[in-house]
Amino acid sequence: MNLPAVCVAIPALVAVSFCGAVVGAAMFGYTPTFWEGGPLTLAEAAALRDQGEVARLIEAGADPNGEFALRPDVLSVSRATPLEAAVLARRAEIVELLMHEGAAVDERTWHRLRCVANEIGEGDVIDAINAYRPATATAVSCPQ
Amino acid sequence: MAGSLGYGLLRVPLQVQDSLPKIVEAGRSPGVWASFTSEIGTTDFRPLWMAETKLLFDLSGGHVHIAYKAFHIALLVAALGLFVAALRIETGVDLAASLFALSVFVGSNTFTGLVKEATPVNVYLPIVVFVLLAIHLSRSRHAWWVDAAAMLIFIAACLTLESGVLVWVALVAGRIAGRRGVSDRALLCVTALMVVYLVVRLTMLPLDTQNASGYLAERLEAEQIRERFGAGLSRFSIYTVLASIFSVLFSEPRDGTIVMLRAWEAGDIPPRMWINIASSVITTVLIGIAAWRLSRSGTVVAEPHRDDMRADVIVFGALLAASGVASFAYAKDVIMSSAGACYALVAFWGVRDALIRVRRVGATIAMAAILLAASSLWAVRVIGMHHVLRSQAFAFHNDWAEMRDHLPDDPAGHRLVSVLRTDALSRPVVNPWFIPRWADRVFDIDY
Repeated sequence: MNLPAVCVAIPALVAVSFCGAVVGAAMFGYTPTFWEGGPLTLAEAAALRDQGEVARLIEAGADPNGEFALRPDVLSVSRATPLEAAVLARRAEIVELLMHEGAAVDERTWHRLRCVANEIGEGDVIDAINAYRPATATAVSCPQ
Repeated sequence: MAGSLGYGLLRVPLQVQDSLPKIVEAGRSPGVWASFTSEIGTTDFRPLWMAETKLLFDLSGGHVHIAYKAFHIALLVAALGLFVAALRIETGVDLAASLFALSVFVGSNTFTGLVKEATPVNVYLPIVVFVLLAIHLSRSRHAWWVDAAAMLIFIAACLTLESGVLVWVALVAGRIAGRRGVSDRALLCVTALMVVYLVVRLTMLPLDTQNASGYLAERLEAEQIRERFGAGLSRFSIYTVLASIFSVLFSEPRDGTIVMLRAWEAGDIPPRMWINIASSVITTVLIGIAAWRLSRSGTVVAEPHRDDMRADVIVFGALLAASGVASFAYAKDVIMSSAGACYALVAFWGVRDALIRVRRVGATIAMAAILLAASSLWAVRVIGMHHVLRSQAFAFHNDWAEMRDHLPDDPAGHRLVSVLRTDALSRPVVNPWFIPRWADRVFDIDY
C-alpha cells in the first residue's frame, strides 16, 4: 500500500463525498443540509437584511404593519413590527424597502420609531425615518 | 462535483447587475443573427456570447432561469469532463493524484468566477472549455478533422471573448512541446486568423481598459488608477501582470489586492487565507520539484509519461504567461481561469511524481504528512466553493427586491422583468443567519 497515495486520496474523496451527498439529497427530493435555511417572519427578515424575503413575504400577503415574533438570537425583543425590527437592526435600506412595499407610519408610530433610532444613534437610520415624517408630526421629544 | 455545483447554480437566482439588461436586450432582439451583429464595433465585441444569450432566451419558452442555468451547468460538465479526460489515469497512484488535481481545479480561486458569475451566460467558462479542447486536439492523433476543429474552436473562442486567443497559445505551446495532433499548416492558418483578429480588435474596435483593480492592499477605481499612475504602460501594468500570475501559483493577490496584507493591517487574518496560501504553496512547490527533476537529463528516462508531463508543463507556462499579459489593464482572478485549469493539470503530474519517487521510510512518512495536509486544505476549498454559491444566492435574491422601482418602461420589458423578479424571489435562499459564524472565516468568500 502506498501510504502517501492514500493520504492524498482520502481528503479528496471526502470532498467528492460531500458533493455526492448534496446531489443525493437533491435527487431524493430533500434540501441538502448545506442549503437548508428556515422560514423567517417578516420582522426577522427585516432584521436580518433579507430584502428579497421582505419583498417576497409582503407580495405574498404578509402585513408590513403587523407585529411578528422573532427568534431569541435575532434581536433583543421577542415581537416587533418589520419597521421596528429594521430600525433596531440598524438597517436603513430595509426601512426604505418596507416603506416602498406598503408600510405606513402615523404620528404615534413615527415618534416611537424616531426615538428608537435616536437611541440606536445610527445616522442613516435616523435619516431614513425622517424622510417619512408625517406632516402632522410634532417636534421629537424622546423619554430619557 | 459537477452535479453538486450544478445544484448550487440552480439555487442561485439570475444575476441582476450586468445580466438583466442583457436578458431584456435578448427579449427585444429580433433574432440570433441580429444579436450577433449588434456586438460588431462595440467595446466588448463578444458576438457569439450575445448570440448564445439570445438563442437560449428563445429556446427557454419562458423558463429563462432554467435555460441559462442549464447551459451554465452543461459548460461546467464539459469543463470538468475535459479536465478529467486530460489526466493520464492508469494506476492507483494516478487515481490518487487525479483526485488531488480535481480538488485543485474546483477549489482554486481562479475557478470561483466560473460559477459565481453569469451575465446571464458565464463568459469565461467557454474559454476554459475551448482551451481544454485545444489541449486535447494537440494531444490527439493527427487527422483532417482535428485541424478543422482547432480552427473552429479558435474562431468561436475569439468571438466569445478576447481571452479566446489563449486557444492559439495552447495550440502553439503544444506544438513547441512536440505534440503533433494539429498540423503545422493548420497552426499557420490559426496564427493568420489570430493576427487578423488582433489587428481588428486593437486598431478598429475600442478596447475597455478602464476597470477597478487591486494594488497592494488597496482596491482602486479606474479613475484612481489613472490619477495615480497616469496613462500607458506603467508600474501598475507590471504589477497587475505579476499579481495575476501569482494569484494562480499562490492564491494571492486576489483580483490584484493582497488580501492577506489588508487583513494583517486590519489585525485579523481569517483561517481561509492561510488555507488558500498553504494549499497553493505546497502544490506549487511540488510542481516546481517535478519540473526541476524533469529538466535534469537522464534521471527520468524510465518514466513512461515523461513527454506528456513535459508538454503539459510547457503549455501551462505559456498559458500562465499569456493570461498574465492579458491582465495588464486590470487584475481579475477569473481572467486566469484557463491558466488555473492547467495549473491543476500540472498539479496532477507534480503529485504523481512525488508519489512514485518517494522510497525511504522517513521520506515516505514526511511526504504522506505533506500530501495529507495539502489535500485536506484543497478539500476545504472545494466545499468552500459551495459556500460561495450559497452566499451569492442570498446577494442576488436581495438585488431582485429593489428591481420593483426600476422596471423597464416598455410593456414587453416591464412584463418580462416582473415575471423574472417574481420567479427569482420565489426561489428559497439561505439567510446568512442560519450559517455558522465560522463558515465565513474558513470557507472562501467573494472578494
